Amino acid sequence: MNDVVISIKNLHKSFNGLKAVDNLYFDVEKTECFGFLGPNGAGKTTTMKIVYGKSEPDRNQDTIINIFGCNPGKESLKIKSFSGIVPQQDNLDSELNVTDNLYIYCKFYGIGAREAKKRIAELLSFMELEEKAKSSVRELSGGMQRRLTIARALLNKPKLLILDEPTTGLDPQVRHLIWNKLRELKEMGVTILLTTHYMEEAFQICDRIIIMDKGKKILEGNPRHLLAANLERYVMEIYGADKDSASCRAYFDANGIRHEFFMDTLFAYGNDSEELARFGETLKTGDYYLRPSNLEDLFLKVTGRTLNELQ
Amino acid sequence: MNSNEIYHLPSLWERIISVWYRHVRVYNSNFLSNAFPPLFEPLIFLAGLGIGLGAYIQTMGAVNYLLFLASGLIVTSAMYTAAFECTYGTFIRLEFDKVYDGMLGAPISPNDLVVGEILFAGTKGMLFSFAVLLVTWATGIISFPLSILAALVGFICGVMFATLSMFITSFVKNINHFNFYFTGLLSPMFFFSGVVFPLENLPKVLQYVAEAIPLTHVVRMARAFCIPGGLNSYLLFDLLYSVVFTVFTGWLALRGLKKRMIV
Repeated sequence: MNDVVISIKNLHKSFNGLKAVDNLYFDVEKTECFGFLGPNGAGKTTTMKIVYGKSEPDRNQDTIINIFGCNPGKESLKIKSFSGIVPQQDNLDSELNVTDNLYIYCKFYGIGAREAKKRIAELLSFMELEEKAKSSVRELSGGMQRRLTIARALLNKPKLLILDEPTTGLDPQVRHLIWNKLRELKEMGVTILLTTHYMEEAFQICDRIIIMDKGKKILEGNPRHLLAANLERYVMEIYGADKDSASCRAYFDANGIRHEFFMDTLFAYGNDSEELARFGETLKTGDYYLRPSNLEDLFLKVTGRTLNELQ
Repeated sequence: MNSNEIYHLPSLWERIISVWYRHVRVYNSNFLSNAFPPLFEPLIFLAGLGIGLGAYIQTMGAVNYLLFLASGLIVTSAMYTAAFECTYGTFIRLEFDKVYDGMLGAPISPNDLVVGEILFAGTKGMLFSFAVLLVTWATGIISFPLSILAALVGFICGVMFATLSMFITSFVKNINHFNFYFTGLLSPMFFFSGVVFPLENLPKVLQYVAEAIPLTHVVRMARAFCIPGGLNSYLLFDLLYSVVFTVFTGWLALRGLKKRMIV
């Protein structure tokens, strides 16, 4: 590895005896976009908060947290001075208008008035919010609020950007706009940490991801490589398969095709799409869907299909 | 948009002032509605009590009753505004609007946040005290020139009650529980701290209780500046009480709120 800027080892965090983060370790290189995937309660947000000192990890001698040479326990302010933080829940100042929201944060970052004016204009244009400069925050749509929160995190020209579910609940247009902007930022040399539930998001912008479950790291790597190494190339979903499950199972077992049942759907995995399709045509119901496997399949494979108590 | 900039971490003072500035900016953005209560409240209070009660009571001790009452209201208005700001206001920013969560993502520490807010409450207290002074000057109730310094006592009072209120806020989980604080603590304080009647003739026990109450000390300081010949060395004790109270409850508030902000 070259130029590791974030290094976490033996990270633990419990809330009232419940382990939110369990022996987590990872390294992030400079200008990498590093994604955290996992079901709700997997410990993604907690990890993000620990990185900038909003949450304190459990005391443990072996824990190492190095964020661009700083320890969040002691140098949280320094870390925040070179980072931009986009929390899961938008927390814009609803008592101030769009420009004032940014202006107040310029004050927090110690940016002088003239420079602040320039930065605000630049960022409103970067996030395509120029027309809303004087609007009140309450008048903004969810997508605009998100873009404003991201603009706010960029005021100090951060070298590290921390995004907690940046596109959750947004429509496809805004999502693509945000991905586009994040890619631009990466080109400019910004290192990005992000959490997401959207497998496509991880695929689109992450160089590497880790999949977490119950506070533990389960898999780590480049999304494409992970997919290739852990999953067949195609998935066939057969709906209402419970009716003639016996014949399906017998066929798959005979042909060595990995398959699983979940509720009323049967999932069959294989590298040969034609083989799967041929079988699909023989089905009485004919109700099947053949598609390339994606990160979501991998995610479900490693974290399980059933809900846990935190979801 | 390159990231080769030199990152500058604002100094402690800059950070505290930036938090203070955030509150000032919000306050100013609703200036008219915010300027109305501090000016109008003392007016109705003095008119109501002065015209009604004043017809029966001309003097309180050796002092004109309206002057006596007005000199106490200078600080109670500061007390109430600081208390509202640092209970409901603080709670909403902490729990509902998540404004603090946002601010803690910038280079602002929980301590900067609390201290900046306490200073703002003090400033607001001073402003409210000054508004009472304006009304009493205009109506001729107070004419002693040194009374301008009572506005500074309003600052001290605002800061004291900001620390107390933020300490209360640090452990309140339900916003309705502030009723206990306002009705159970501040209302009795209003009546037993020498604002509406002097403490000298109270039973000894209540006099001791009154001395333990923070409001009593700021009332005495404010009044001393409003009445000719009111200054005496005992005021140094009142000032000392205020400083010790502020430092102690301020420390409790910082400790409690930090636990709620960094989890």
